[in-house]
Amino acid sequence: MPRITINGKTVEVKEGSTIIQAFKESGQDICHYCWHPGLSVAGVCRLCMVQIEGMPRLQIACNTEVKDGMVVNNTSDTVKETVRWGLDFHLINHPLDCPICDQAGECGLQDQYMKFGSYDPEMAEKKVKKHKVVDLGPTVVLDSERCILCSRCVRFTDEVSKTHELGIFNRGDRSEIGTVEGKPLDNKYSLNTVDICPVGALTSKDFRFRQRVWYLKEGDTICSGCSTGCNVKVHFNEEGVWRVKPVYNKEVNGHWMCDEGRDTYKHVNLKVRMQAAQVGQSGAWQLIEPAEALRQVGPKIRDLAKTGKSDKISLLITGQYTNEEYESLFKMAKELKISKAYHWFNKAKDKDNFDGILLRGDRNPNTHGLLDAAKAHGIQLGSLEQFSSGASGAEMAIVAGPEDFAHFPELESILKAAAGAKLLVWLSSGVPNGLSEVSCETFAIPTKTYIEKMGSFTNHAGLKQCFKVATTIVPQALNLSEICELIQGRELNWALRPKAVGGAKANYAIAEQGAL
Amino acid sequence: MSLVKRPSSAASWYLPGILAGMAFTFRKMIFNLFHQKKMLTLNYPEEQYQYSARFKGNHVLTVKKDGSIRCTACMLCATNCPAQCIKITAAESEDPSVEKYPIAYEIDVLRCVYCGFCEEACPVDAIRMGPEWQTAALNGSKFAYDIQQLAYRPQLRGGVVSVLDEDERHHAGI
Amino acid sequence: MQESKLLTEHYNKPDFTSLAGYKKYGGYQVLAKALKMEPKAIIEEVKNSGLRGRGGAGFPTGTKWSFLPNNGEPRYLLCNADEGEPGTFKDRLMMERAPHQLIEGMVISAFAVGSKKSYIYVRGEYDHSIAVLRGALKEAYDAGFLGKNILGSGFDHDMDVYQGAGAYICGEETGMISSLEGLKGQPKLKPPFPAIQGYLRKPTIVNNVETLAAVKYIIRDGAAAYRKYGTEKSAGTKLFSVSGNVVKPGNYEIPLGTPLKDVIFDLCGGLKPGRTLKAVIPGGSSAPVLTAEESMKATMDYECLAQMGSMLGSGAIIVIDDSNSMVDLLDVIMHFYHHESCGQCTPCREGTGWLAKIVHRIRSGAAEPKDIDLVEKVSKQMMGKTICALSDAAAMPAISFVTKFRSEFEAHMQKTRSAVGGSAHA
Repeated sequence: MPRITINGKTVEVKEGSTIIQAFKESGQDICHYCWHPGLSVAGVCRLCMVQIEGMPRLQIACNTEVKDGMVVNNTSDTVKETVRWGLDFHLINHPLDCPICDQAGECGLQDQYMKFGSYDPEMAEKKVKKHKVVDLGPTVVLDSERCILCSRCVRFTDEVSKTHELGIFNRGDRSEIGTVEGKPLDNKYSLNTVDICPVGALTSKDFRFRQRVWYLKEGDTICSGCSTGCNVKVHFNEEGVWRVKPVYNKEVNGHWMCDEGRDTYKHVNLKVRMQAAQVGQSGAWQLIEPAEALRQVGPKIRDLAKTGKSDKISLLITGQYTNEEYESLFKMAKELKISKAYHWFNKAKDKDNFDGILLRGDRNPNTHGLLDAAKAHGIQLGSLEQFSSGASGAEMAIVAGPEDFAHFPELESILKAAAGAKLLVWLSSGVPNGLSEVSCETFAIPTKTYIEKMGSFTNHAGLKQCFKVATTIVPQALNLSEICELIQGRELNWALRPKAVGGAKANYAIAEQGAL
Repeated sequence: MSLVKRPSSAASWYLPGILAGMAFTFRKMIFNLFHQKKMLTLNYPEEQYQYSARFKGNHVLTVKKDGSIRCTACMLCATNCPAQCIKITAAESEDPSVEKYPIAYEIDVLRCVYCGFCEEACPVDAIRMGPEWQTAALNGSKFAYDIQQLAYRPQLRGGVVSVLDEDERHHAGI
Repeated sequence: MQESKLLTEHYNKPDFTSLAGYKKYGGYQVLAKALKMEPKAIIEEVKNSGLRGRGGAGFPTGTKWSFLPNNGEPRYLLCNADEGEPGTFKDRLMMERAPHQLIEGMVISAFAVGSKKSYIYVRGEYDHSIAVLRGALKEAYDAGFLGKNILGSGFDHDMDVYQGAGAYICGEETGMISSLEGLKGQPKLKPPFPAIQGYLRKPTIVNNVETLAAVKYIIRDGAAAYRKYGTEKSAGTKLFSVSGNVVKPGNYEIPLGTPLKDVIFDLCGGLKPGRTLKAVIPGGSSAPVLTAEESMKATMDYECLAQMGSMLGSGAIIVIDDSNSMVDLLDVIMHFYHHESCGQCTPCREGTGWLAKIVHRIRSGAAEPKDIDLVEKVSKQMMGKTICALSDAAAMPAISFVTKFRSEFEAHMQKTRSAVGGSAHA
């Protein structure tokens, strides 16, 4: 373990690590763009310059290996001057269109210039014109003028996605990132290039111009897209959730996440959500508080159990809930002696698919947790087919349905099969197609999505990852544990219920109100 | 020692105060009848006061020479607005040289404090505080000004053209 | 004064290009001698001769060869014939007049470093050189000087000619390696150095045409005989490409350490009548310029020029008389480096463009005296900040031009400003 001195502070680092890693480990500031911990070293931005005692020239920290007894600093005047000029070199052909650039607010160039820049540019020449608004593929847009040619995105497609779509074309200050004609940037991980782009050169088509980043808040959670369980953060404001980005976790996803996982915010926003319980049948709905609906349906379930008809209740469960919710569900099933439980495993035949990077065929975050919980409670889970064939004629079907409908193509047919029972309790976050055609007595209850609840998911490898509430979109929605409590006739502590975040912009109420 | 003065018995008798007030009013009325030029008030709305050109009145969204709106939807005005009365929805423009433009731009003038920060924050001279100050409407919804109202209201006669073009901006170092 | 013709002794003989003609003048006899020696002894001999790289950096060749790791990996020998430095034209002469001399030198060097495969990377524009080299390679293969079991020694060696695509940066050794690997011609990060991980990530030696050719003469005459030429630290002879305002421009082979004055006024016949010397660029366009005064004192060896703040470089002497404007000249040089920057490192990518624009503005008359300072400031920040030396190569002439000829730049500004009616930025 070599020991080196950084700006007068002695740190011990791993054998073979570079100076920039030592800087990061010791928590000291160093300016850099092209270096990324998840990619190879390019050494082209020339900003991580450090002064090493005994070396006449400044060295780049990202390509210099640490040797025992090294004395390094990046606070001397020479280094500061070099970094100042390095930043100026980056900016002389940069359009400085921060006001319309989506990266503004989370831009490496802005941040580092504020910290290390010279504030007194001397560039008086016309800037080089390059291509703007270049359509690189289905997900990403390129602005070459903003690009600082750090080559992170090129290295990403070469080293991580291994799809080799991007390259740097032309030479000198005419250099531009681009794709070979006829081969767009189209891979399952393409949006990571947007994340690692330190400037606003690569922007996501999905997020482009939708929000300014300084209006957004962050919340850490676990991606619900598949059984890998990537660590992510969601960006939201009072209008809803706008995007999902990966968070570094060495054990699970490293620095990356897939493009499909980034779509998981789409099913949580208000427009696609069930906002009140729908009680009734054949589309003649009565919209009531979910808790009230459960107070109505709870006694019916308990009566069935009391009269010894528990075997007439079938319970269908998807792998989209947390371990804690399964725990309450199975506890309730035991208490009410419900023995017929079925596992709704969507795309079951693809469950072992794996693309070699992150994405898995099992598109549920917690299949592992569901099976574990069922085993712990000694409940035998039947298959989806068994549920479909046995549902008609049953007294009651309780369906803990999906949260993200995109991966449930069989949703409507299952809904139809479940409607064969005399009474259907349907739990899901959105309103499924075909709900209005259900002819039996139905209680559709809105559930929370993964960003609105806390709990834990057990991923494909059995790793249990806990997460907290990021934000609340539908305050009336309930999680499975709360639903079970209400069904069993117990009340919740309403004082602790979340309140809607969307209270701002109250002035618009005046506009909507009409005459004063 | 108490500093509170007890009202004198004369003061508790209210008639002298009223008479003094009425005397003042009548004196002014008679004075004004004969010296109309020296009168301090105006006969609004027949007479209207002319404010200086720098008056911060109702907002105007400026337009380019081709008549399209100048705003780039950067939202710096909305960010800076202390009253949070500006609401912008951005979208991608067909014209790649424009890139970003607002499809909706709303100012709730009832909430606006007319501070002019939006004007100062704007990097492209897209919003100005105009000279209009007579803001009246019959309905609350009329006070949420949209693009049509802000940029093309009839009083502006086709919009205020921002004369700055790209070359001028370059020379000015903007 | 006379040239000391060692490498160029037979260059004027037209049959020297063919194998038969080359053999007539003692060709491939040194190869036979070398193959009987121990490779280590050859390296030792080259080390003792004091031969330094003739491509520009002047790194001791024998020392470079001894950096190769002993790990049993295949090694490559690359001949750098991508002669892109403005003002240099010696390698072309060597390839066109004496291709076999180069091949022989290369086989000896390859034997010394234990390489089984070598490439000659020739500048893309040198079509004729490539044709001559390819013809010579075929002859050498047919005669058994290349291929399997050369001259019965058991040493196998293959050689190939590779035509570059016309980029100046591919003359930088790692840039050349990238280009040869089929990648975009961009220098690679060091470390690892090419001697450890070069072409195809294998140990690689890159040498200039003249260096490799000189190896033949070191083995022929011995290190001591080679050392008779030149100075203590800069041994041997060197080809100088003299161009510019002299009466007899051309390639001259002279011992290192010869006074520059003698080269210009004796060998090359001096300046045109009525002209006075203004400046000399002693080592190709990337070397800092010398004033007339300095050049009268300079001797052409690595140490003296380094002491004067310039460098010997590839040995391209560009003579400038008073008929030329230094402003115009710097504009041309800066345009060249702007065009040739590979665009990898930011200070070079942006700096070369910036310098080119400022200098062009100065030339066109829209500048102020503070722009001269700016050229100096920008250049200083480009020095030693990048992966390869192209950034320095652009910065060094810029600094030397504006500091040594500042008065001329100022006079130019004065003149053009009154002509265009004031600066645009005033």
